[in-house]
Amino acid sequence: MDLVQQLLYMLQGISTTLLISIFSFLLGLTIGLPLAFIRTYERGFAVFVDAFEKVFRGIPELVLMLLFYRGVGLFLAFPFGDAFFTATFVLGLRSAANQSQIFKGAIRGVGEEQMVAARSLGLSRLQSILRVMIPQVFIFSTPGLGSEYALLVKDSSYAFVIGVPVIMEQADRIRKATYDPVIPYIVAAILYILLTFPLATWLDTWGSRKKKQLGL
Amino acid sequence: MSFLAENLPLIVDGFILTIEVTLFGIFAGLGLGTILAIGDIYGGKIVSTFIRFYVEFFRGSPIIVQLFISVYVIPAMFQTLIDPIIAGFLVFALNSAAYQKGYIKGAMQAVFEDQMQAGLSVGMSKPQTIVYVILPQALRIVIPAWSNEFCSLTKSTAALSILGIRDLTSAFQSIAIRSFRVLEAWIMCAILYLIWITIMTKIFDIVYEKKKIPGIEISV
Amino acid sequence: MAEIVMECKNLWKTYGKIIAVKDVSFQIREGEIKLVFGPSGSGKSTFLRCLAMLTIPDKGDVYLRDQCLTKPSVDLNKARAKIGFVFQHIWLFRHLTALGNVELSLRRVLKMPKDEAREKAMEALRLVKMEDWAKHYPAQMSGGQQQRVGIARALARNPNIILLDEPTSALDPELTGEVIDTLRDLARMGTTMLIVSHEMPFAREVADEMIFYDEGAIVETGPPELFFTNPESERAKKFMARLIKKTKRE
Repeated sequence: MDLVQQLLYMLQGISTTLLISIFSFLLGLTIGLPLAFIRTYERGFAVFVDAFEKVFRGIPELVLMLLFYRGVGLFLAFPFGDAFFTATFVLGLRSAANQSQIFKGAIRGVGEEQMVAARSLGLSRLQSILRVMIPQVFIFSTPGLGSEYALLVKDSSYAFVIGVPVIMEQADRIRKATYDPVIPYIVAAILYILLTFPLATWLDTWGSRKKKQLGL
Repeated sequence: MSFLAENLPLIVDGFILTIEVTLFGIFAGLGLGTILAIGDIYGGKIVSTFIRFYVEFFRGSPIIVQLFISVYVIPAMFQTLIDPIIAGFLVFALNSAAYQKGYIKGAMQAVFEDQMQAGLSVGMSKPQTIVYVILPQALRIVIPAWSNEFCSLTKSTAALSILGIRDLTSAFQSIAIRSFRVLEAWIMCAILYLIWITIMTKIFDIVYEKKKIPGIEISV
Repeated sequence: MAEIVMECKNLWKTYGKIIAVKDVSFQIREGEIKLVFGPSGSGKSTFLRCLAMLTIPDKGDVYLRDQCLTKPSVDLNKARAKIGFVFQHIWLFRHLTALGNVELSLRRVLKMPKDEAREKAMEALRLVKMEDWAKHYPAQMSGGQQQRVGIARALARNPNIILLDEPTSALDPELTGEVIDTLRDLARMGTTMLIVSHEMPFAREVADEMIFYDEGAIVETGPPELFFTNPESERAKKFMARLIKKTKRE
């Protein structure tokens, strides 16, 4: 395996890692944000949201991936026969559970008064949530979302066990082909650090700047 | 369920190993993390730069990568062999320390300047003030974060199975293969983790409630 | 004349361009009560902290009785144990009860046995009339009660002197009275105190001497009557006029 080939391998690893992280983050957002509002404003559903969060935060990601890929995939080859899909699906639901918690805290941070103020103007509940709450909730949750994204980048490495060509998998393949046990893993570590570092810090500073600007 | 009964010893052994690694990781991580937090606050520039690199490595890279580095890279670089189990224990302790340092430092700073001044004003030394005033408050504030750390540490120990270490996940891996009842095996495995983590979270909640003091609460 | 308890000579402390303590010399004798007042930001707090060596002065010497605290060889913790300090923002140990707050330094600094420390701490709490609140945590008390515990904490070690940094200014107006009453009790017992405060009626009643402090220096000193009738310096005159006007409005 020559150097160019190794480089291509790693590039594929980076793009796969990024794709899994981004897709599962978005999946987590589309499920987690509504869940947070539902549990806050429809107390009756809080039990179910809680249960969902407990399950997906309380089982190792690696076990979930094996469960869906090897187990459920036996019966539902579509879509769980696809390793990339399964990894994204599992991490997306795990992220939904985490993001629901993050947004719950942010809703509390924004405060009930904002909701009351919006309703007092005659906005409907949905309008108040969309126009008044959500924009502020995002500002409050930026640090949490930043670290959630970083967590997804790292956890995407578990997809290694079901053969998805993430950075870790590619490093392992290069190690097997070149018999070099040192460089591939060191490179993998550096790549992961580079991928997790900038966005999390950037979001954090953006969030606190915005917060200060708006006096929140 | 009979396939479970047959494999009970395997499951129990795996479970015990998982618990051992987690508990070792969390307590060794607490000790080391506290030292790192104090070092970061008091140690001056060089120490805190070193700590920053340490933390960035352990928090920025996946646990799998850290495990592989400890069993492949380091032995190759230093021409030694490291028992994967020992490597596993160490990696989880070092990893958890990196996270716990963050919580503890944050909590120490939250209780910090005024309480330090008050401690000095009654004649206590800096180390005495840290031990009798800052840490008792900081550790209380940290309990909820600690509970989270316990969860994520438990979950990440599943990665030990990749190294062929006989933890809970690895036990079910062999059960799944041998019994051909893959789905049931993995569901069972997931449930066991879930129960264990739920029980432990509950215990943390109880400890937090018991140790709670009016006026020292976290703002989530 | 009584013995000098605390003294400083040519004390300096600067923060960047701001000079908080500019060549200040000062002494206080056994049983005296001196009161420092002046505009906010003039460096009064820094001056007080320098005397307690909670802030290390840049230049000059601080003496506690015969001991020079600014010598590098001095064990500052031992020295601070002999000085009581009361903070503007109270700063009780939040994880300890009122009793625990008072007890801590008796146990850990003076190494008293448990029972003795408890007895001594209760005595201090009785003095500030907080003995019924011994088992309560700071968060369960009002600001005035917290500050009384703060005073008990400073008092319990039988310090040579108590330094109080605006002990009432962070409190709601209706709570200052109880703290002032406590200070009055201490005064009656002959406690040596250096107080930064703007409670003028109280000052008039108990202070042996008032010190007008501005721009990092002692501008004028004298008995309270002097300041209330006819201070010498222009700055003190203006400040007193403003203060009296403000007090009347309240």
